[in-house]
Amino acid sequence: MEEGNDDSHGWNLTESDPGVFTELLKTLGVPLIVDDLYSLDPESLAALQPLHALIFLFKWISTSGDGPSATSGGEYDRDFPGFFAHQVVNNACATLAVLNALGNIPSLTTGPQLAELNSFTTGMDPQTRGMVITSADWLREAHNSLTPPNAISLDGLGLPKSSEDAYHFVVYLPIMGSLYELDGLKQFPVRHGSYETSGEGWVKKARETIERRIATYPGGALEFSLLALRDDPLPLLEAQLSSLQASNQHSEAAEIVVKISNENTKRQRWAFENSLRRHNHVGLAHALVAALAKAGKLENAKESAKKAMKDRIEVRRAKGADMSDD
Amino acid sequence: MADILLAFKAGRAFRRENTNTVEPSPVKGAIILTAGEDGLFHFTWKNRTTGVVDEDLILFPSDASFVKVSGRTYVLKFSSSNQRHFFWLQDASTARDEEFVNNINKLLEDPEADLIWNTAASTSQPQASTSTQATSSTAPISSTAPLIPPEQLAQLQALLSGQRSPAAPEYSLTDILTPANLTPLFNSHPELIPTLFPHLPPDLPTPPSAEALQRIINSPQFRSAVSNFDQALRTGMLGELVRALGLPEEAGTGIEPFLRAVQAQADKDRSSGGSEDRMDTD
Repeated sequence: MEEGNDDSHGWNLTESDPGVFTELLKTLGVPLIVDDLYSLDPESLAALQPLHALIFLFKWISTSGDGPSATSGGEYDRDFPGFFAHQVVNNACATLAVLNALGNIPSLTTGPQLAELNSFTTGMDPQTRGMVITSADWLREAHNSLTPPNAISLDGLGLPKSSEDAYHFVVYLPIMGSLYELDGLKQFPVRHGSYETSGEGWVKKARETIERRIATYPGGALEFSLLALRDDPLPLLEAQLSSLQASNQHSEAAEIVVKISNENTKRQRWAFENSLRRHNHVGLAHALVAALAKAGKLENAKESAKKAMKDRIEVRRAKGADMSDD
Repeated sequence: MADILLAFKAGRAFRRENTNTVEPSPVKGAIILTAGEDGLFHFTWKNRTTGVVDEDLILFPSDASFVKVSGRTYVLKFSSSNQRHFFWLQDASTARDEEFVNNINKLLEDPEADLIWNTAASTSQPQASTSTQATSSTAPISSTAPLIPPEQLAQLQALLSGQRSPAAPEYSLTDILTPANLTPLFNSHPELIPTLFPHLPPDLPTPPSAEALQRIINSPQFRSAVSNFDQALRTGMLGELVRALGLPEEAGTGIEPFLRAVQAQADKDRSSGGSEDRMDTD
């Protein structure tokens, strides 16, 4: 590894994908999953209940102009008694956000290591808490387990990822009757005030707060997505299916079968993608080049690659873009 | 201001503790040889991103030499001590590698070597009166021969202001391993598909199949890995890694050598293979 320049402290940059998060939760022994949230409308949110937290991930793509004000409508809670840790290592941002959410969900089942980390850091200030979390080897290994394995030479070269900037993660969840915003880069948690417990409950306030926040950015300047931290629906669905079948409610049972099937398809896709994430693809890349060579197609492929590169450069030149990509 | 005698893009590399491996640091930098204000000959390494000169060595004539280690990796070694400083050439094009290395060794041997040293200009001018900075595009010091050839000066300006040279790679591995190239291959040579199965993830939830292969080559994870491998090959530092793939070390020095080596191996396998293969070449 390069000397002195590496402030990742061994934390790799992960993809912000629900499959990655859900696998991390499994490793932490937590019976929750993370799903993509494409819309904040009441129906979409209701379908994901029981819902524990919303994760808002974003990056600014415009460098001009400031972001919104620090507390974006809420106020700092300097006496926050719950779990809040500062983000100390940038690459750990996703895992840190998850931990900030989990640490504030009452009566949550967790594995022993996470339970110990939580109790060990009780009473610590956010900065120290963040540092302790970031130095937990088992946690870092769990986090890194879904990034490509380091083939020695590739690791030492520290090759840049295609989008170098990490997304920033902010968690919204209900704590002690108020909607809180937990942002590891802010000094304190932000309290956005209380919510009506009837009807949609806290998610309504979360929707309003998040939409208000999005509206403060100039159009097109914000790239973001939303994730939902929720109970794993499969056990509940399977229980529902059993009871519906037992009471001969076949059409309702059929609907549940469809839901279970969709959920399983999604899990299979996640498992497939995670297996690709863990894999060192250099051997496959070599074998594919060799296959092209054996079939006598490598020369042509090379020529078409040259043409593709030329065309790409022409397009960039035409746009007057910066030519500094080696 | 010091007179710049020679400059070219280079990164540093460091020996991994207790091993014989030297690992490159990806930081963009430049080796700059100067005749310092102190009248001494300086070998410096500058970080092109921060602009900071992180290494500044004073060298005496014929004490040091710049020797090739492998690929584009070189070591600055000394006869007077055990010091070793490793570097790797970072210019996108290898066309001038030899020229840089020859020139640097010339200067290490004799800082006043004919190359680009103008003794009248550098020793007679007090520093303050030199209106030039190294990045200026006006004729540097003397009205006789320019201290630095204009073409090199332009490159030097670009280099010192942190820009890369305009040379772009001719082609990339990511444009070779595309579905557009690979899918027809699977169709025309289905017998090659099982040869790929051993390279699929061992924990793939579905059994190896042509369909799984298609999904994989289209996946962002695979494409990102190919892109990384492509960039890694460009550094010329993958000698060890490609040996683990059963290829000669030369194959790790660039994209072109890699493809050549893979083709050579495929040809060798084919000619020593079964008679069915020979029939294909008629």
